[in-house]
Amino acid sequence: MAKASAMPIRPAIAIPVGALLTGASAYLLAEPWAPHFIDRLDSQAAQAIAGAGGSGVTARFANGVGSPSRHPLLSGGEKLDEDTRAKVARAVASIPGVGGVTWADGTARAESDEPVYQPLHCQEDVEGLLRTRSIRFEEASSALLPASRMLLDEVADALRPCLGSIIAITGHTDNQGTEPGNLALSMERARVVREALVRRGIPRDGLRASGVGSSQPVEGLSPSDPANRRIEFSVIRTEPLRPTPVDTPGAR
Amino acid sequence: MPLWFELAALMVAAYGAGLGIGWALWGRKEQEED
Repeated sequence: MAKASAMPIRPAIAIPVGALLTGASAYLLAEPWAPHFIDRLDSQAAQAIAGAGGSGVTARFANGVGSPSRHPLLSGGEKLDEDTRAKVARAVASIPGVGGVTWADGTARAESDEPVYQPLHCQEDVEGLLRTRSIRFEEASSALLPASRMLLDEVADALRPCLGSIIAITGHTDNQGTEPGNLALSMERARVVREALVRRGIPRDGLRASGVGSSQPVEGLSPSDPANRRIEFSVIRTEPLRPTPVDTPGAR
Repeated sequence: MPLWFELAALMVAAYGAGLGIGWALWGRKEQEED
């Protein structure tokens, strides 16, 4: 095939122009067709709202500037209870073609029927407690400082919702002194914290104490920094422990 | 989000995908031949 002798079209210009034309044609296509589509959604939504018992609720299929949208804004029905409002929102959201549903007063959003997984947040609670304060010990010793005892009370309270989980207590030191000594000291400090938590009502079998010496300094700190002397908590299993068949008492 | 905007986004994405596929199938070969 003979090549066109006309001026070659530069892709750097042709591609964006093509994209613009595509966008413009989408606009021209959508504008005359949108009102019919929105009317259909509107009448279906009114039926769905009535079916879900949402008297006084209206669905507005338009955005802030009045442009047709398939994401309705529900308003009215302030006196309805939350269950009914959720039911109404779900009924509207289940109409084919409807996108996300929001309430004008913003008190509830449409939710699916699937149960929402709510993870236990004791790990975050403990991290929050230890972000600005830390469990401190007397120098080169595993004796807790008095201020740390109060902090441990709060840590125990934060861990209580996760009873039944395995909670790891890890002791760390800075790199002053010998590594075997640091390792023993970090282990001893983790053990002291475990015992302190047991005294505060946390079951011993859910607590695992270990020490890593100075091998895991805080990220960004030099290994010799005293801030490396710390205790870390991590919730490593969040489902309750079930007794093994051997531990389960027999019928007699 | 307005309806026309959703359609425009969809069509521009399809346009881009079409360009990419077209280039992969034919454009690359032509470039090699040149």
